Amino acid sequence: MRQKAVKTIIILTCVLFVAIMLIMPLFTVITYAFRQGFKVFFSAIADEYAVKALKLTLLTTVFTVTVNTVFGLFASWSVTKFQFRGKRILTTLIDIPFAISPVIAGLIFILVFGRIGWAYPLLKAYDVRIVFAAPGIILASIFVTLPFVSRELTTLMQSQGSDEEEAAALFGAKGLTIFRKVTLPHIKWGLLYGVILCSARALGEFGAVSVVSGHLRGKTNTLPLHVEILFNEFHLTAAFAVSSTLVAIALVILVLRNLAEYRLKKEENADVR
Amino acid sequence: MYVELRGINKKFGSFKASDDISFSIDKGKLVGLLGPSGSGKTTILRMIAGLEPPDSGDVIVDGVRVNDAPPGERGVGFVFQNYALFRYMTVFDNIAFGLNVQKRDKKHIKERVQELIELTGLSGMEKRRPHQLSGGQKQRVAFARALAPNPRLLLLDEPFAAIDAKVRKELRAWLKNTISKVGITSVFVTHDQDEAIEVADEIIIINNGRIEQKGSPSEIYKSPTTPFAARFIGQSFAVSNYDALRGFEKDDNFPEAILRPEFITVSKLNALLYPNSTQDGVVENVFFRGNLSELRVDVAGVKISAYRSLEDDEIYVGEKVGALIYQLFLVNDREVKLIRNSLLRDENSVFI
Repeated sequence: MRQKAVKTIIILTCVLFVAIMLIMPLFTVITYAFRQGFKVFFSAIADEYAVKALKLTLLTTVFTVTVNTVFGLFASWSVTKFQFRGKRILTTLIDIPFAISPVIAGLIFILVFGRIGWAYPLLKAYDVRIVFAAPGIILASIFVTLPFVSRELTTLMQSQGSDEEEAAALFGAKGLTIFRKVTLPHIKWGLLYGVILCSARALGEFGAVSVVSGHLRGKTNTLPLHVEILFNEFHLTAAFAVSSTLVAIALVILVLRNLAEYRLKKEENADVR
Repeated sequence: MYVELRGINKKFGSFKASDDISFSIDKGKLVGLLGPSGSGKTTILRMIAGLEPPDSGDVIVDGVRVNDAPPGERGVGFVFQNYALFRYMTVFDNIAFGLNVQKRDKKHIKERVQELIELTGLSGMEKRRPHQLSGGQKQRVAFARALAPNPRLLLLDEPFAAIDAKVRKELRAWLKNTISKVGITSVFVTHDQDEAIEVADEIIIINNGRIEQKGSPSEIYKSPTTPFAARFIGQSFAVSNYDALRGFEKDDNFPEAILRPEFITVSKLNALLYPNSTQDGVVENVFFRGNLSELRVDVAGVKISAYRSLEDDEIYVGEKVGALIYQLFLVNDREVKLIRNSLLRDENSVFI
């Protein structure tokens, strides 16, 4: 009886907490966005600057996810399949972005590539702009989302071990064949899961991007930054309208994530059998 | 001399996995590397396969030094302890993998795989995935997969470790037969002496990264040449005050004796075989072992183990019995010496 009461209380607490902390704010965002009707909503999201911000956000996400997927594959491969000195240190280093505040990540790039940075003269000589331009935003996003893919893959590849790769190598299979035929089928759902998490984070990244962006409207504004500007200028409805597009993307990602997770679990269970 | 290892050394950090390992294997032989876990036997296998480079020494296959050849070019088939089947491929694709890598034509691949599926009794399972197979079936797939590209040498790492006891016995006989049918030179690793004795043509006992003894199963069993081999093989147990046993004298060079249950006959007092050489003892424990019972007997303060057939009259705990010890191995740090019971020798009787 008492156990049942405890169970009910715990579940209820969780549900309430989620309702107050997550569902209510999201609901508010969407209702607020439509407060002045569909017309205002659409004009806010079809606004020239909003569209440019969306484009930049998507561009950033594509670059970031591509780079971090490749890096994540290399990192987890080297950490799980090879023995080398400093392996522990490498795995710890990869997790740094999780521990560091994104603002600091942004500042790092200002300090390196900005006007006061040591790389500035070199960049200027070649007329390359990094800070206050798209490259800076992409770099900052890469930094912040670096661990997602490699973390997913490392645990997965660790559980697989290297026997199957060794078996394939004994038959004379080359590295790429081994990866394609043996490793990839095992990690594909985990890889997708990591990619999705990475995209979600890259889409919504604010802190690091805010520092390196310079807030040039129509040039270096990503969607989250655009929302902030609208909000600060008291265009509340527009701010919430643009926010709601981010929410919509997030919901799509959530569905994809669950799908990937489901497939991943299914394959893991198949392994156990 | 088909496979030869010369002065192989291998360290993992400060752990010496192979300590000056040298041995050779004749073509067509089935050789068992036998040793306790952590003795370095799997490392030897992996170095032959090329999965682990030796720190020094040479690996020679068919007269050619293969140290620098990558695993895929050594012509070695390998059966992993947990089989390492490609879990996302069907049985057919698993077996065909090596042939596909070699880019053999489709028709040849199909024929060869079919041939191996028949050899290993896996007909009808071609489309299954590894997780749909039993342990014994997985082992057969691993075996067929290793054999598919016609390797010169087959290596098997603890091939029966992951299989339950009953199937294991059948598979042992099956594997020995199949290997002799195929006629491939094979090396397998095991920690199970029954397995090694039953399956191998020749056994190499490994301990602490060193070779203790190499010989036929019966040589290994009957005449161990190192103290470790004497202790490791059979249901051996060590006795320090062996001079308390009737018919044996203390040899100051040998502080310990190794006995096995089969060196001892325990009889009821009213049915003694050689009363002059038999010594009184008290039964401390009786263990039922299925096809026989094992007795623990205290003889003049020495604890010994002996077997007794279930057909003989039952002996009870606490009963006084006669114990006759035919022989024992005297051991020190380096040597082993077989000593027969001096009283039996005087009587000129026949013994094992």
